[in-house]
Amino acid sequence: MANELLFFMEVLVGGLLAGTMYSLVALGFVLIFKASATFNFSQGAMVFFSVLAFCGFMQDFNIPFVLAFILAAFLMVVVGLCTERLVLRPLMNASEDTVLMATIGLGYVLEGLAQAAWGVEVRRLDLGIGDFPVPWIADNLKLFISALDITAGLVAAIMIIGLFLLFKYTKIGLGLRAVADDAGAASSIGIPLKHIMLLVWSAAGVVALVAGCMWGARAGVQFALVDLALKALPVLIIGGFSSIPGAIIGGLIIGAVEKILEVYIGPFFGGAIEGWAPYVLAIFFLLYRPEGLFGEKIIRRV
Amino acid sequence: MSDNSVNILDIKNIEVMYDNVILALHDVSLKVPKGKVVALLGANGAGKSTTLKAVSTMLASERGKVTKGSIDYDGNSIEKQNPSQMVGLGMVQVLEGRRCFGHLTVEENIISGAYSRKLSKGDIDQELEKIYTYFLRLKERRKSQAAFTSGGEQQMIAVARAMMAKPKMLLLDEPTMGLAPQLVAEIFNIVKELNQKEGVSILLAEQNTNIALKNSDYGYIIETGKVMLEGTAQSLLNNDKVKELYLGISKKGRKNFRDVLKEESLNKKIN
Repeated sequence: MANELLFFMEVLVGGLLAGTMYSLVALGFVLIFKASATFNFSQGAMVFFSVLAFCGFMQDFNIPFVLAFILAAFLMVVVGLCTERLVLRPLMNASEDTVLMATIGLGYVLEGLAQAAWGVEVRRLDLGIGDFPVPWIADNLKLFISALDITAGLVAAIMIIGLFLLFKYTKIGLGLRAVADDAGAASSIGIPLKHIMLLVWSAAGVVALVAGCMWGARAGVQFALVDLALKALPVLIIGGFSSIPGAIIGGLIIGAVEKILEVYIGPFFGGAIEGWAPYVLAIFFLLYRPEGLFGEKIIRRV
Repeated sequence: MSDNSVNILDIKNIEVMYDNVILALHDVSLKVPKGKVVALLGANGAGKSTTLKAVSTMLASERGKVTKGSIDYDGNSIEKQNPSQMVGLGMVQVLEGRRCFGHLTVEENIISGAYSRKLSKGDIDQELEKIYTYFLRLKERRKSQAAFTSGGEQQMIAVARAMMAKPKMLLLDEPTMGLAPQLVAEIFNIVKELNQKEGVSILLAEQNTNIALKNSDYGYIIETGKVMLEGTAQSLLNNDKVKELYLGISKKGRKNFRDVLKEESLNKKIN
């Protein structure tokens, strides 16, 4: 009995921590959705682009780890700058659908650029953190939990706190929240939309880099990272497209549920239900709580 | 150069098109003297909002464009400006329908108005206190989420937010829309006070002809994108046609202004 409980705990904790990796990807979507009410289809490509550049800096130019990371982060700010300048500004007064289509195109451009610059082969990314159980926890708590998962959890926690402080207590954060509520009114009182766009696209780029590092360390830096972004879709549906805590908790729920279902219900379906179980969950949310758990409800006075 | 011009705003014969096909303004000219309140009156769809948006340069975001004529603000053409530059120059529009940031608190809403100014935390607090002297009601509700405040309070938030940008000129688009009569009076008192104590020039679009004229120095009446009548507020209040058409003081049924003019010209021909 005790063993079974321990096993359940292990599945649960492992799932939750793996879920934070989804959360990291989802965070990037939320940032852009808040500012422009657009689902950024290029987020997956941004993950791939950023982490491939990071690997490239380290492996092809022998730049040290920290410097390479800073360079890659800087590169993502430049990508944000170019996106604002070349894509968003000309589409400033276009409909949201047009912007949505533009993000799909942007995704292809980023994928192409990344592979043209750094090649198409799968690269190994060694963060110095192994994807194996931490011996101390395994010995003392009898739980087998990967060090990489724990790191991802910590990183996600730090990022959410950082973003929360940025939005709540800085001037540009106030500007972003104002734009998220009513972009027209925000521009009527002199909040420059282009600064806000630049901020969120850069922030989303850096978040993509962090997510890419985590996933790259686990699965290798490869083109499949682009499709990983699709895993963020159920996370966003559950957590709510406009909520940062929602992205985190949505990720945790997806991570935990998919592991638990896989282990306990999977055998009845012949296994491998991890891949689609989150989407089934997402469908239930779409039916019964379409704004997600933490999505901003449309507030109406009665 | 700009200081000796008497008019802070000078609109000359503008024509505005939306989407390159829909002609919203045919020919609108109007002037706002420095430190005065000017009312822009007319029914729904007459072109009041379009005129204000042409001035604040917010037309572009609705695919509208000034295709003829000129707009000078403070002695300079606004042609090449964008909304945030206009705010920097001291021209702020309070949009129709209040448009508060619903998820922000009342105080955050007001502070957001100072975004374009480089103020320290202390300066902002000082400015806030000053603003609250005009909007006492908002001070009590400073921590509430704006979406949960009443319509009148939301209108006050919108005006207070605009005042935080320290405007020389305010464009108010139907500030009393959907408000109870006491609140209408309260809003107009505040507007009047801001005009007198802060010296803000005001261009006010309203459907509420009577109270708007009573609180203005000068008025323009527009219909289907054309200025039909203008004059001092007092002369418009006493004008028989205005009385009949906009103040509802008439024995005959409703008419529009053009019909009255047609009748007049017919009468002239007959005579």
